[in-house]
Amino acid sequence: MQVNQAKSQFVAVASIAAELSAVMEVAKEISLAAANAKAIAFRAGEKAKGFQPITDFINELAKDTIELVNNINEYAFHLYRLTVNEQRMTEACKRFEKVEQLAAGARYADSLTTSLQEVRLRTQLCHREFILQVSELLIKLADVMHPARAARVIAANSRIEASQAGEYLQSLQAVAESVDNAAQIINDKVHKCRSALTIINVAE
Amino acid sequence: MRMTKIYEGAYQWIMLGRDVHKPEKIIDTNQYMVRTANRCLLIDPGGIELFAPMLAAVLHHAPVEEITDLFASHQDPDIISSLGLWDQALPNAKLHAAALWEGFLRHFGCETIEYVPIPDHGGVINLGAIELQIIPAHYLHASANFHVYDPHAKILMSGDVGAALEAPGMPVFVENFDMHIEKMRYFHQRWMPSNQAKRAWIDRVRKLDIDILAPQHGRMFKGDDVKRFLDWFEALQVGIAV
Repeated sequence: MQVNQAKSQFVAVASIAAELSAVMEVAKEISLAAANAKAIAFRAGEKAKGFQPITDFINELAKDTIELVNNINEYAFHLYRLTVNEQRMTEACKRFEKVEQLAAGARYADSLTTSLQEVRLRTQLCHREFILQVSELLIKLADVMHPARAARVIAANSRIEASQAGEYLQSLQAVAESVDNAAQIINDKVHKCRSALTIINVAE
Repeated sequence: MRMTKIYEGAYQWIMLGRDVHKPEKIIDTNQYMVRTANRCLLIDPGGIELFAPMLAAVLHHAPVEEITDLFASHQDPDIISSLGLWDQALPNAKLHAAALWEGFLRHFGCETIEYVPIPDHGGVINLGAIELQIIPAHYLHASANFHVYDPHAKILMSGDVGAALEAPGMPVFVENFDMHIEKMRYFHQRWMPSNQAKRAWIDRVRKLDIDILAPQHGRMFKGDDVKRFLDWFEALQVGIAV
């Protein structure tokens, strides 16, 4: 792992953690919007009959997103640990090679060979696992896009149903807007996560 | 790295330091090695920058599999920030360090090496052929701080107590105590926070039979200079920054 590669790896993993944290907040906002919508729809009674089942969908989407993000967070944390380990082992390889050079002629110089070989091997294994985890994380991030897309469709339906709700029109339209905005934000954040991952040089 | 044998009997004490390749801006340190027939203890093995010359020097005396014990007097980076590298290099080693510092020292990386926590009252390091005593030196300067005493070789490795900061390449032993005083004064007054802790340490150490007092920076004291140092340190007011 070169110095620049290590830096970009650390930055990418930290960016993902930051974006995921933002996604989590937005998902919680959707959940709150769903509760709000449910209360309005209840008050509106017959006028918002078509809106009531939509609120349940919104809530389900928020829950799914939160669960997925929790799961992805574990991947991101694992990636961070792998990055730290790989960086430490790369540093160890470098220092051991320096020892070999300085200890030339020392009586027990050869005794370091096994440790050096093992660290090299562990570094390679760590890097391979990192690449594997990045691939899996990209798939998981794609999964988060599904509820976000569904939320946008639901937001469109919500607008239609809101238009039938008489004096509750504005309140319900505000809920639809809120869900739509939240879905858009999640979409953008997930795209940023994917971009952060793709800039990591995962070539062996 | 310069290696100086300071005790030779059934086992050896070797002081390692005065590395000519040391980066200019990092503090100069003394490391110590106790080598028995089949074990090796490294006392305050040093900072990360020193790891390569340090291990290269040790390999003249012991193979990595026989470096079985590390000791850290306290948690400072010049003492033990190399821990993560030793952790990768040594297949079967223990780190003897304060219980209080365990959660801190593990930040340097300590997965292979077994952490042996030292309680506040001290303990021993058993190397088979020899048993070394771990002497409490709390607040001199770190809140949990220990020194290593070898009753057979009559050597006290005294951590930062007795340290002096000098230009590179200074001799390994104090040659003129009076002239050495000014090299140690500010260091002890500023780094040692407690007169009470200092007195407790002096009371404890005066009971030990010491031929060589071996600090982690600067020159070692031998013979009558050990008593001279204890007398001087006893009279010194420390903790001057407040």
